[in-house]
Amino acid sequence: MRRKAIFEDVLALVLAGGQGERLYPLTRDRGKPAVPFGGNYRIIDFTLSNCLNSGLRKIFVLTQYKSGSLERHIQQGWDPILSAELGEWVYTVPPQLRVGQRWYAGTADAVYQNIYLLEQERPEKVVILSGDHVYKMDYCRMLEFHGLKGAIATAGAVVVPIEQASAFGVLGVDESWRIVSFTEKPADPQPIPGRPGHALVNMGVYCFETEALVRALCSDARRETRHDFGHDVLPALVGTGKLFAYPFVDENRKETAYWRDIGTLDAYYEASMDLVAVDPVFNLYDREWPLRTVPLQLPPAKTVFAQEEPGGRIGLLLDSIVSGGVIVSGGRVERSVLGPRVRVNSYARVADSVLMDGVEIGRHARVRRAILDKDVRVPPGLVIGEDPEEDRERYMVTVGGVVVIPRGMQLE
Amino acid sequence: MAKILVVEDEKNLRLLYKHDIEQDGHTVVMAANAVEGLEAIERESPDLVVLDIRMPGMDGLEAMGRILERHPKIPVVLNSAYSSYKDNFMSWAADAYIIKSADTTELRTKVRELLEGCPGGPPAKP
Repeated sequence: MRRKAIFEDVLALVLAGGQGERLYPLTRDRGKPAVPFGGNYRIIDFTLSNCLNSGLRKIFVLTQYKSGSLERHIQQGWDPILSAELGEWVYTVPPQLRVGQRWYAGTADAVYQNIYLLEQERPEKVVILSGDHVYKMDYCRMLEFHGLKGAIATAGAVVVPIEQASAFGVLGVDESWRIVSFTEKPADPQPIPGRPGHALVNMGVYCFETEALVRALCSDARRETRHDFGHDVLPALVGTGKLFAYPFVDENRKETAYWRDIGTLDAYYEASMDLVAVDPVFNLYDREWPLRTVPLQLPPAKTVFAQEEPGGRIGLLLDSIVSGGVIVSGGRVERSVLGPRVRVNSYARVADSVLMDGVEIGRHARVRRAILDKDVRVPPGLVIGEDPEEDRERYMVTVGGVVVIPRGMQLE
Repeated sequence: MAKILVVEDEKNLRLLYKHDIEQDGHTVVMAANAVEGLEAIERESPDLVVLDIRMPGMDGLEAMGRILERHPKIPVVLNSAYSSYKDNFMSWAADAYIIKSADTTELRTKVRELLEGCPGGPPAKP
């Protein structure tokens, strides 16, 4: 691991108030940042790992809806590895209702309502991040870019083929990466100078000079806007000429840059299936970019039975991610993500699925193309994911045809 | 002319501001602390607020946060004996910051500028 400077004068604010309505029912009992992903992890772990790997060690996580499981996760997994005595910490901050008596109106309002935190810390710069995204980014490089440009604000931006850009907020830039326009979901996105066929998409990753941030937020608070960074605050700063776009460098170091706002159930499913691919774009195993989460005291995963005679039981795990405490006892699992403590019993088959913490698959049951939330018990012999019409009558099925079983649902 | 709310805990200053601001033809409503000030805003719908910062109970910065939440467009002039609050981030949401003085010229000038800055000029009052 290369040595990193610690940024003592930079504060990270992670916006973790996303409700994640389009991820329902995975967000029925938790906010989007706390949704489990990749077996052991929760979505917010990727942003927090980025912070640590980038030398950002003063982190406020601004929570809002259903924040209980997120707060517990951070307290158990992240708080213990930082040293408050050395000025390194991660704190969750629920809405304080200090400035307003209401929920956050938008991303900018979330920070405005917490200006008091900036007042206390008085950092030189503030990095504003979303707790909803999965990507690997070295914010240190962005801060260097920000400094070199003499920017008051810098927006991280991912380069995408122009035909994909219309679904996002697009940044128009000049040759020096100075932002000249913000357009939300444009029909005709502006290409990057010198790179025809490509456009810059706003990632919701921002670096601000603190003073400029506070002034911009105070002024936005006085206007009738959506109080959103990408929609209101940054467009209002374009005229200063000191707003820049930083082209995202993916620490996965693959051909395609990986940045996902896992906004829908199908996107969640696809991103999970990428993890079990032979050569995933998003690599969980890179020792140069360690990904952290709550360390669980669990026994190692285990397979049971290797009766190769006809009708015998074989515990098989193929092309899958397997967390601690998993037991595959005489069942077969392929191309799936298994969270902690999952149990797959004899003659059961699981394929192309995501099984979260504590899921149990009964004997002879078959599960295909499904997401099973925590503690779901599939009774013996039940079949899920093979007959779309029958599934639609009994379960929630996504547009992409993935069956989603919410936490605790009784299956018969 | 306009209706001005003055939130100020010192009685003599309240009287001074009332007297001087009325010279400019405005109506002045007064409140002796932040809580009264918040009530007066809802009751009187003033066109501008002059707000002391250091007061017993809720201070002027917190009061301003609450005022702006409900009435983001209302001009607020912070009026304090201390310049130190100028560094406080919350004070940056105000339209002006004036250091208190027995001479109210600066305060009145600022009030006039802010009222003129309102879209459509100074609001007409019956």
